Amino acid sequence: MSLRTVFESQPDRRYIMFGGKGGLGKTTLSATCAFWLASQGKRVLLFSVDPQASLSDIFQQDIFGKGPVPIMRNLWAQEVDADRRIRDYQEEIRKKILDMYGFDRVPEEIDNYIAAASAEPAMEESAIFDAVVDIVVQGDYDYYMYDLVPLGHALYYLSMAKVYDEWINKITRLREEMRQYDQVAATMRREKTMEEDKILGELLYIKERINASSQILTDRRRTAFFFVLVPEEMIILDTRKAAELFSKFDVPISGYVVNRVLPPDLGKGQIPEYLRNRIAMQQKYMRDIEASFGAQILAHVPEMERDITGLGMIERLAKRLFEEVSAR
Amino acid sequence: MADETKPKKGGILGVFKDIVYGMSSHEMTRYAVRSRASMEHLFILITMGDLLGVPILPPYYSLRLLPYVTPQISAWKRRMLRERDITDVLG
Ligand SMILES: Nc1ncnc2c1ncn2[C@@H]1O[C@H](COP(=O)(O)OP(=O)(O)OP(=O)(O)O)[C@@H](O)[C@H]1O
Ligand SMILES: [Mg+2]
Repeated sequence: MSLRTVFESQPDRRYIMFGGKGGLGKTTLSATCAFWLASQGKRVLLFSVDPQASLSDIFQQDIFGKGPVPIMRNLWAQEVDADRRIRDYQEEIRKKILDMYGFDRVPEEIDNYIAAASAEPAMEESAIFDAVVDIVVQGDYDYYMYDLVPLGHALYYLSMAKVYDEWINKITRLREEMRQYDQVAATMRREKTMEEDKILGELLYIKERINASSQILTDRRRTAFFFVLVPEEMIILDTRKAAELFSKFDVPISGYVVNRVLPPDLGKGQIPEYLRNRIAMQQKYMRDIEASFGAQILAHVPEMERDITGLGMIERLAKRLFEEVSAR
Repeated sequence: MADETKPKKGGILGVFKDIVYGMSSHEMTRYAVRSRASMEHLFILITMGDLLGVPILPPYYSLRLLPYVTPQISAWKRRMLRERDITDVLG
C-alpha cells in the first residue's frame, strides 16, 4: 500500500489526521496530501487549531482567524483563533443573559463566574474542541484534514472527546429524568401544557455535536490516522509507544509515513564524513522501522533541500509522494 | 414473589407510581416537586460545579447553560454555603 492507494481504495475515509511528535512533518504532510487531493478534484479543508499558526507559514499567507481561506482550486485552509473565539463567546453569553431577563447589566456574581471560567486552561481546550466540532459537522467538503498539534495533545484531544461524550450523555439523562418529574407534577396539578425545557434543548444540541465529533474520531470507515516518524532511535521508540496508546483509544491507525529520508545514492558521491555517517545511521534505523512497522509503511518522504513552504515546494513534494513510484 | 421478578415498567414514572401509591394527590404533587427540586440542586452542582472551584465539566459548555440557571445561581450558592456551614459545625 502507498498513501495514494489508501486514498484511492478507501474514498469514504474523509477525515484525515497526521500525528507524530513535534516538528516531524505533520503540517508538511497534511498540506502535501491536501494539495494532491485538491488537484484530483476533491474539495479539501485543511484546518488547524494551533495558535502557532503553522498553515500561514506553509502557505506563505496570513490566514489566522479568517475562516476558511481559499488557497487554490478546491483547497481551503483555516486557522482557528481560539482566544478570539472565547472572547466572542463570553460576549454572546452576557448578551443572552441581559436579553433573557431584561437586566441592564450582568449580575456581578455571574460576571465573575464567566471571567473565572474563561481563565481556566480547560476553557481554551474545550473552546478548541468545540471549534473543531463546528468545522467537521458542517459537512460540505470532501476531505477534512486536521493539522494536529504534537502527539500528547492529539491524544489528549481524543481522550477529551471520550470524556465529553460520557459526560454529556449522563447530564442529558439526568435532565430528562427531571423533566419526567415535572411532567408528573404538572399532571397532578391538571396543567395541560408544560413549558418546554430550554436547558434540555441546549443539552441535546451539545450532545449531538459532541457525539458526532467523537464518533468521527474513532470511525474506521470514515477516518484515517497516519503516524509521521523519522529514522531516529528515540522517535522510533516513541512512535511505537504512541501507536499502542492510540489503539487503546480506538483510533483507526491507517499507516506510517517515514519523513526526512536522505537519498541513499548520496552516499556514493563526494560528501563530507559526517553526512556519510548520518546516511549510514539512517540506513540502520530504516531497517528498524521496517522491522517494527513493515507493511504498514505507506511512504518514504525524501529530505528536501530546503524547508517546505509555498505551493511550488508543496507541489514538488506531492509529485514525489503521489506520482513517482514511492521509495519502497 | 412473582411480582418481584417481573421487570419494572415505565422507568422512573413506574417507580414513582409505586412510591406515591396511597398518597393523596396533594402529597403526590409535593413529593414530585420536592424530588424535582433536589435534582435541580444536583444538576446545578454538576453543570456549574466550578463555581465552587471544582471543574467538573468542560467550561465552554457550562457557560452555554449559564443563562438558563442565572436566577438559581445566587440561591444555590447560598444553600451550598449554608450546608457547608452545617458540616463545619458538625465536624
Ligand atoms: N521532507 C522534508 N524535507 C525538508 N524539510 C522538511 C521535510 N519535512 C518537514 N520539513 C521541515 O521541517 C519543519 C517542521 O515540519 P512541520 O512543521 O511539518 O512539522 P510538524 O510536525 O507539523 O511540527 P509541529 O509539531 O511543530 O506542528 C518545517 O520547517 C518543514 O518545512
Ligand atoms: Mg504542525
